[in-house]
Amino acid sequence: MPVYIDISRCIGCRSCEVACKRVHSGHGHVNVHFVGDHASVPIFCHHCEDASCTLVCFSGALHKEGEKTAFDVTRCTGCGLCRLACPFGVVWTDKIAHKCDLCEGRDSPTCVTTCPANALSTDFEEASRRARTRAAIVAAHGGRR
Amino acid sequence: MIRVDAGKCLGCLSCSTVCPSQNIVRTETERTRSIHWKRCKEECDLCVELCPAKALALVSFDESVPEPEVCFDLVACKICGSRYATEPMLQRIEALLPEKVQKDASGLAWIRVCPVCRRDIEAERATSQLVLGRSRKSI
Repeated sequence: MPVYIDISRCIGCRSCEVACKRVHSGHGHVNVHFVGDHASVPIFCHHCEDASCTLVCFSGALHKEGEKTAFDVTRCTGCGLCRLACPFGVVWTDKIAHKCDLCEGRDSPTCVTTCPANALSTDFEEASRRARTRAAIVAAHGGRR
Repeated sequence: MIRVDAGKCLGCLSCSTVCPSQNIVRTETERTRSIHWKRCKEECDLCVELCPAKALALVSFDESVPEPEVCFDLVACKICGSRYATEPMLQRIEALLPEKVQKDASGLAWIRVCPVCRRDIEAERATSQLVLGRSRKSI
């Protein structure tokens, strides 16, 4: 159950970034990036299937739990290999590793519930339906939006 | 006290983080990272157990043996030039990850790029279609 982004809805308000920091005692795992004046996108953990961070973690702190890339804080030595192995740069090390935990213990990740533009969701069907709709609109307008 | 195999040491942050008595001192400058193991009398072997490279060994206390220290030049990101990792750490990652994931779709060897630039690249990749469409509209 990773978090899906509808980039066309992102308004670049950074609410997700702030909410993530608030929930994780100041250590945020979301970074909103701006591409010129035209687009913004939050960058965070993809919960990759064969996650590089879990492949380099020698202590077993980072591991897969179903779809989730989970983190066991008691096994982390803080070596920093995971930070360097993440292709998207979304694992941090500050004494110990920290990354998106999908807001463990909450009903829904706080970035998803906070986003005022409804750009984030945990529902794959919803994310895929929106993408299909957009593709259909483009096709109906002869490739132009 | 601790004996260090400098050839095996990755220059990672593990031992200096786990040592309960702060006997392993890590000093970072903009370009280098050095790790200094103080002569300790403890029988604790936490750093030995938790070394990812198995570079450490617990040996009996000896006043005459100098305190080990290793120093690494930090590798520069090939995009922004900031120093972000030690060479052995990057080599370890290159050895552990499957070859097919070590280059992204554009052929970039991303392991040699710092995490900050990796996020920038991801943002540009994810928004490229959208930016194209929106910049067309604004013309």
